[in-house]
Amino acid sequence: MKATIAQYYAGDSLLHRLDPRAKFVAVSALAVALFVRDSFAGLTVYAAAAVLAYALSGVPFAWFWRAFRPLLWLVALTFAAQVVFAPGAPFFSLWFIHVSWRGLELATYLSLRLVVLVLVGSILTLTTPSIALTDGVAWLGRPLRRLRVPTDELALMVTIALRFIPTLFVELDTIMRAQRARGADFRRGGLRERTRSLVPVLVPLFVLSFRRADELALAMEARCYRPGALRTRLHPLCAHWSDVVLLVATAAVIAAGLLV
Amino acid sequence: MSPSPDETAPLFDISGLHYRYAGAQADALADLDLEVHEGEFVAVVGANGSGKSTLARLLGGLDKPAAARRALACGHDLLSEAGRLAARRDVGVLFQNPENQLVAQCVEDDVAFGLENLAWPAADIGRRVDEMLARFGLEELRRREPHMLSGGQKQRTALAGVIAIPRRVLVLDEPTALLDPAGREEVLAAVRELRGDGLAIVFITQEMDETVGADRLVALERGTEAYAGDAGGLFADAALVRRLGLGLPAAGELALALAKQGRDLPGLPLTMDELLEVLGGAT
Amino acid sequence: MSGHEAVAGEAPDKPRGPGAPGSAGMSLVCGDVSFSYEEARAPIPALRDVSFELRAGGSLALMGASGSGKSTLLQVIRGLDAPERGAVRLDGADPADAGYAALQREVGLVFQAPELQLFAATARDDVAFGPRRLGWPEAQVTAAVDAALDVVGLPPARFAERHPYALSGGEQRRLALAGVLAMRPRLLLLDEPFVSLDPGTRRHLVDILERLKAAGVTLLLATHDVDLAWALCDELLVLGEGRVVAAGPWDFSTAGGRLLAANRLREPFIVELWRRLGCDPQHAPRTAAQAAEALS
Repeated sequence: MKATIAQYYAGDSLLHRLDPRAKFVAVSALAVALFVRDSFAGLTVYAAAAVLAYALSGVPFAWFWRAFRPLLWLVALTFAAQVVFAPGAPFFSLWFIHVSWRGLELATYLSLRLVVLVLVGSILTLTTPSIALTDGVAWLGRPLRRLRVPTDELALMVTIALRFIPTLFVELDTIMRAQRARGADFRRGGLRERTRSLVPVLVPLFVLSFRRADELALAMEARCYRPGALRTRLHPLCAHWSDVVLLVATAAVIAAGLLV
Repeated sequence: MSPSPDETAPLFDISGLHYRYAGAQADALADLDLEVHEGEFVAVVGANGSGKSTLARLLGGLDKPAAARRALACGHDLLSEAGRLAARRDVGVLFQNPENQLVAQCVEDDVAFGLENLAWPAADIGRRVDEMLARFGLEELRRREPHMLSGGQKQRTALAGVIAIPRRVLVLDEPTALLDPAGREEVLAAVRELRGDGLAIVFITQEMDETVGADRLVALERGTEAYAGDAGGLFADAALVRRLGLGLPAAGELALALAKQGRDLPGLPLTMDELLEVLGGAT
Repeated sequence: MSGHEAVAGEAPDKPRGPGAPGSAGMSLVCGDVSFSYEEARAPIPALRDVSFELRAGGSLALMGASGSGKSTLLQVIRGLDAPERGAVRLDGADPADAGYAALQREVGLVFQAPELQLFAATARDDVAFGPRRLGWPEAQVTAAVDAALDVVGLPPARFAERHPYALSGGEQRRLALAGVLAMRPRLLLLDEPFVSLDPGTRRHLVDILERLKAAGVTLLLATHDVDLAWALCDELLVLGEGRVVAAGPWDFSTAGGRLLAANRLREPFIVELWRRLGCDPQHAPRTAAQAAEALS
């Protein structure tokens, strides 16, 4: 089992070198702009910008496809649901499915939005190491510290959680195999039986994780970690004029999409 | 490593140390004394439940002693919270499980973690990390993720991360217990190198063969000191060694088995050569 | 399981009785077993044309560097993975034969650090997991659980109702072993059972395995400890990068010694001692106790 969550492609493209904060703001702004207006022309502008961004990222198509493909199902499902349940006079009916032009139109908008959203989101995670992204978001969330929200600690938690995901997958696999060697069968039976059969797998995994949390906390304190204390970074975030260009370009694209 | 301002003051000056876990029937540590000086390599041995890991945590300022007449680590008072926090800076602690010490998503970032916590400037962190990676043979693994490392590599990474913060003394809590023979050798070699540099080391273990060459040996039994002195003195008392439940090298096991047969040997051999000598003499 | 006779005067938590799980041991034959792991870019060959035989009631030490395929081989033998090529024959039966699945259920596999799999609220429930999965009637399950707890030195009277996590590390390891023994395996596969054990539990475990051997169980022990391998196993199988590099009885001749060295395995301590004392290393005793007797 290979985890492809936040899969980073190590490269040296223009996009790789941009500050994660600027990238995050750009993606977030674009995500919002996508849903403002129902316009095919506008969405096409955004789609074109996203494709251009992908071209600039230098990420091989195979990598991108691996992250993208599973989500196509979601898009297809959303399209179908929209078509079936949208209002409007149907021009075609089969059983309880009524297809109207309006429905097709709405479905197309939604699907296109989702595709662009996923495309842009994937480019973000493919060109930004998760630790940099987490640092960037934590920096952007600084104002929340005034509301006693522990943004830096949350960012560290996310980083640590991400670090242990592959390890947990391996441990999960091992525990499942060990229980299978004792006769457990995770594929047999209905929902209830299958859920019960997960107990011998989930309990050890939880216990292991709690023990890990204890030991890890100790090891971190032994290396002088203190929640709330000021921490520097080996790779500090550093904005350049190229990041300003990105933000300006994104604003221009958003404007174009809204005005077209 | 800058020399200590006062060469004569011990790095650990502990007297009457007590610790008990909440709800426990007995003390985990009872009236323990320990002194460690600059450059010393002190081995602390004991079976499971003897209090070794508790001692490691207390020495590192990671837990509060229940009581002590004196508990100074590098001049910091372990009985006070401020003292403990300060001790964490001077005392490095390496634990048993390499997996549960690695925090970051790659080796380089993990080695940097401690220095980031101390708010060092980025450039200084970079230099020190490079130094540590070179020192522990981890340069090729710089961007490797933890789950792709072998046990020995993980433990070396953890060690590099601990030592990245310049320390005055290092405490190792059974660092090779979970490693295969290759990994064990890697870590022991790294520790030998650190010792060669003059760093004071407290090496906690259950295996007698890892205490070879220690300046001093302290044996724990149920939280108290059962022996303190040089290594040779402990080996001379076969009955005590057996009572302590420690892991002996094969030569020692055989000598104990011979003693059981009624064949008394002068002292406990640790190596094949020592055993042959003893056998040759005793025929 | 044949009964657990109380042995007067023995310390309460030493293993008691022969604890024989069932009748005679199972024979094992691996013929050209090959297996690869599916990976994103290219399959990783983990086992290549592994062939060897282990007679019923025999004992085999499986050795080799980390990554040489030991764990994979054990899991393929148990049937958790099917080999790509070749076959694992249990008691002479092929995978295609009718009774093969039943034979697989008589193969016990103890994973590395098996205490990581403990999950039940009581020791009894955890050990009962395997037998219950086999569909045994509750009375038979109880008998098997009690016998298994006895064999590993955790007498049911004291330990059956304890919570697994309240036990010490050594006790947990033995409890996990009991979980496998309760299923009465005739072929027992162990993956590095001695790692991270304190010296006392290590000795205890050697005791338990010797008794199982004496009761006729076939033993396949993957370990990197050459002295323990020598103490417990008649034969040796060395893997290197998924291939068999040595198989058969221990061989301490010059050629044999070279083979061991080439695979970064030293001679067992007692064997070397015998050699240096001028005796025939091939007939060196297996354990320290036996050596002490011989030297007296």
